Amino acid sequence: MKLGDKEYLQEVLKRSNADQAYRELAKGQFESYTLVLEAVPDKGINENIVLGFDCQDGEFIEVWEGSRPTMFTLTAPYGTWVDILRGKLGATKAITMRKLNVQGPILQLLKGANRVLRWVEILQTIPTEFEGDFAQYNLS
Amino acid sequence: MQAAFFEGAGQIIVKEVPTPQPSESEVLVRVHYCGICGSDLEAYQSGFYEHGMIIGHEFAGEIIALGEAVHGWSVGDKVTAEDSLPCGNCWFCKQGRQVLCRNLSITGVTFNGGMAEYVSLPVDILHRLPENVTTRQAALAEPLAVCLHGIRRSSLKVGDIVLVLGSGTMGLLMLQCAVLAGVRSVFVSEVNPVRASLTRELGAKAVFNPLEDNLVVEINALTDGLGPDVVYVCTSNSSAYQDALNLVRAGGQVFVLGLCVEPVPTDFLSLVMGEIDIQGGYLEHGEIPAALDYIAQKQVRVEPLISREIRLDEVVKYGFKELLKPDTEAIKILVSFEGGTP
Repeated sequence: MKLGDKEYLQEVLKRSNADQAYRELAKGQFESYTLVLEAVPDKGINENIVLGFDCQDGEFIEVWEGSRPTMFTLTAPYGTWVDILRGKLGATKAITMRKLNVQGPILQLLKGANRVLRWVEILQTIPTEFEGDFAQYNLS
Repeated sequence: MQAAFFEGAGQIIVKEVPTPQPSESEVLVRVHYCGICGSDLEAYQSGFYEHGMIIGHEFAGEIIALGEAVHGWSVGDKVTAEDSLPCGNCWFCKQGRQVLCRNLSITGVTFNGGMAEYVSLPVDILHRLPENVTTRQAALAEPLAVCLHGIRRSSLKVGDIVLVLGSGTMGLLMLQCAVLAGVRSVFVSEVNPVRASLTRELGAKAVFNPLEDNLVVEINALTDGLGPDVVYVCTSNSSAYQDALNLVRAGGQVFVLGLCVEPVPTDFLSLVMGEIDIQGGYLEHGEIPAALDYIAQKQVRVEPLISREIRLDEVVKYGFKELLKPDTEAIKILVSFEGGTP
């Protein structure tokens, strides 16, 4: 499934809610996220992809395409997200290096870094097709 | 005369009192218009003004009597007044920071203000109105002066991108001041559609609704992913304060003019990692002449901000209570006194 499409989002929701380790780590957190995958026109990504996730007490209750108000907005070029999903770039390293820009109460995000890292591990298990020049890195 | 007294939280009482007599260095002003300020509203809710004072620090009128030692002023002069009277002698006054004076008197807060038919004032805080500025317009000179003070105190530079959170009276004036100061773009965050529409009319490049729009996504898209250089917080809504830290660009400034009387959870890690400056602005000192000139030159429009005029005896019912409604479309409500000249 293609990174960011409806099928992909539903798979994120299904796998995240099925993962007991993630649910345990995210218990007590009431957060919503917007992920902005920024266009990289010279590598075939012509438009931003904007995705939303609402996670309440460890359970993803809604996922959506497009922009809504959320507690956190995480923004990075499409290629940076690909690097994170491939395991080539760690999420916390990406934040620290400012390759991944976090807007929101970053303290809350970093204090629960383990849940973020576990969530990335879940995303890495999803067979994912990338677009443009990044198609060579598809996850199977 | 009739006057509106602050008697504690939720208690503004209009009552009859003797008309004040000016001392030898004062003048007696017949008030034409007096605005209800956001700080009056906060005091009405929290009770933080001195009890037993006549409120009102946004007013204009005409001189009807002079103290014996007053020179350079005449009966019939149209005037407005500074919102405060610093001592002039303390360390802060001597540093030119009169707003921080250690013996500061504030009009309508620590001494009787202009929400009355008449007010007796020291001439030191008076300003004569330009010919083409009405007393109705001049009632907004004080909030405009506060915004000018804020612009001067903030880190704003020509060519900057600005975000204004909230578009009540202060937000709409700050928007116009930022345009005057030579910014590249002003964006505004506002929930109320009527106010949002007015922000566009007064120069905002874009207006966003924080309940419907992801401000980070929208503003990043318009600022090459950087965010605004300065965010002016012109609301008492506590959620706006964290929004400001989220939205300002790294290395930028959050400038607070709003009076938030609730504790605001603040993520100081964001502040440190983003090297964000936070600064506040309070009152004004010496900015009234510029404010009056901007109104006279029509470089700042105050008339669109005036939602309605009410009588003094309506000040609670149609003034304070209206402005405290969460869905109010009113911006500035002026108490009009008999004899006011529009």
